Amino acid sequence: MRGGVTTVFFKEMRDILRDRKTLLLMIVLPILVVPLLLNSLISFVMEQQKEAETEVLEYVIFGEEHAPDLAKAFAETKRFKKTTIESQEELVAAIRSDEIDFGIVIPEKAASRLEEKSQATVELHYDNASSGSRVESRVEDVVDEYNEELTKARLIELGVTSSRKRRAVLEPVHLAEKGTGDIREVLGDNVGGMLPYFFIAFCFMGVVYPAIHLGAGEKERGTLETLLLAPIPRHQIVLGKFLAVFSGGIIAVLLNIASLGTWIAIKAGQLRGTLGTMIGSIGWLDLTLLALMLVPVAAMFASLLLSVSIYARNSPEASSLISPFGIVMIVPAVLAMLPGVELNWFWASIPITNISIAMKELVKGTMDYTMLLAIFGSSTLIAGLLLFFCTKWFNRETVLFRM
Amino acid sequence: MLQLSAITKTFRLAKRRKTTTGAIDPRERGRTFYALDGIDLEIPSGGVLGLLGQNGAGKTTLLRILSTSLKPSSGVVLCDGEDLTKNPLEIRRRIGFVSGNTGLYGRLTAREMLLYYGRLHGMQAAALRERIDELSATLDMEAFLDRRNETFSSGMRQKVSIARALIHDPDILLFDELTTGLDVAAAESVLAVVEMCRERNKTVLFSTHHMDEVDQLCDRVAILHAGRLCFEGDAAGMRQQTGESFLDKAFLNIIKAEPGEVAA
Repeated sequence: MRGGVTTVFFKEMRDILRDRKTLLLMIVLPILVVPLLLNSLISFVMEQQKEAETEVLEYVIFGEEHAPDLAKAFAETKRFKKTTIESQEELVAAIRSDEIDFGIVIPEKAASRLEEKSQATVELHYDNASSGSRVESRVEDVVDEYNEELTKARLIELGVTSSRKRRAVLEPVHLAEKGTGDIREVLGDNVGGMLPYFFIAFCFMGVVYPAIHLGAGEKERGTLETLLLAPIPRHQIVLGKFLAVFSGGIIAVLLNIASLGTWIAIKAGQLRGTLGTMIGSIGWLDLTLLALMLVPVAAMFASLLLSVSIYARNSPEASSLISPFGIVMIVPAVLAMLPGVELNWFWASIPITNISIAMKELVKGTMDYTMLLAIFGSSTLIAGLLLFFCTKWFNRETVLFRM
Repeated sequence: MLQLSAITKTFRLAKRRKTTTGAIDPRERGRTFYALDGIDLEIPSGGVLGLLGQNGAGKTTLLRILSTSLKPSSGVVLCDGEDLTKNPLEIRRRIGFVSGNTGLYGRLTAREMLLYYGRLHGMQAAALRERIDELSATLDMEAFLDRRNETFSSGMRQKVSIARALIHDPDILLFDELTTGLDVAAAESVLAVVEMCRERNKTVLFSTHHMDEVDQLCDRVAILHAGRLCFEGDAAGMRQQTGESFLDKAFLNIIKAEPGEVAA
């Protein structure tokens, strides 16, 4: 009984491990992509921070004479460089052509409004379509500081002299935020939701080529018919193939996680601040649990894709039938990122979503370990049902000899 | 002995198809296509039966039913009195099948592939090694036994396919268009295997389009046309029935007398 399964399994493993494309997706990419991607991401964030600290913003100001103190505040701000353009009409064109970063327009009536201690309006022109633009916040900082000075002066004139009273007038109720989450939880909530994409995507990638090769590939090569004539029950053939495809997903995931663990071990010592703290707090136990949770996911993918592949007439048809699953499998992973979706008995029974939430909880360090049983139970049950379906599917003439 | 009684095999059609002359294929009844229609045939043990018929006549379907990869829609196939569909695993141990489009695992060597099928047939390691040596000597495969299948010529591929079918020393051999696409030398060496099987008193079903192969190898002949058996006898009987001395003309005369389209 077991002989047929192991014979098919070892042959299929030998076969798929001799394929360069499979090796690339199953071994090379899972090892390289995580460190490369994380290194690039961290470098990019650091570069952006550095740029934000050193970037000089060029600006023009019109109507300077209507609020000279405000104009002076801009002129004295570090990394703001005043420049000129010919007329106010050219302001938009100058911003769009990156000649200047922003323009301030102080209308004539602003002078009288400020004089009367009323509210004056000053226009800020900038490229709000540029997502990387930090103009708005930096200009707001200058205006806020200017406003603070004006407010202080006006309140003193009204007899509100002490800073305590000023705070009481400006903010009668102050909300003091006392978050209970530690830094790992806060960052884990943001970053942890992204991790499942990586692992689930690599698990899928590790399964795709073996599934196509061992299903539709057998039909294409003309080897399926001779294999079906082997004197072993069909379910043993399916199990042998399933184990090989499943191994593809597991190998990809394990290498992926090992690569992440190695990266964490190296980087935790190098990175300082909150990022370093968070990365350093993820231990090998967490990573082992991550790997364990992906076992039923790999089994689900292997059964499902093998069923699809064996239905296809050839490899190109299998590829086109399998491609939509690559998108569909992201949907339950996205659900895990929605507000209010937390690990409870309901979500623990939804395949892939349960794994995604659990991974987030693991990264945050707030995992309820009793839920692991529910996650394993439901995922394994679904994987088992899919495998059962695959076995039945493999016994149908209309599937195996589809014309 | 193989006994086929009223074997019918139908397939469900997605849509009705027309023949090359534009007529509806008589084998289509509604959405059902009769690939085989009431075949009665007895194949005694030992000897070579040539299975003749045009493309689409039903030869491959019949061989697939005999090999147990397809189940008949109705009718019974008995192999030495045992129903083929009742215990297919046992029957598979006795059958070796090489189809016209038999493929090989390109990334395995010929030896690895033979080891794989031998293991699937439950052969012990020592016996399997011995059998591979014997077959590679018989089929002249020693030079390429440890090369990957993807590097082989058509003749080499067919030899590996035949060795694969013979690995467990079956007593019934089903050869479907064995020499298609082979050059003269390769075809000759492949046909020598059929000759060898006959000498060893194996039961061989041999489907072919080449009448010279029928003359050379077949003890008996069965002709299928449009899913029906339209002749059973031997080459001499074909000539006698049609009055033709050339076997291909005799074959054409036999199928022209039957209902159904005859390809040009």
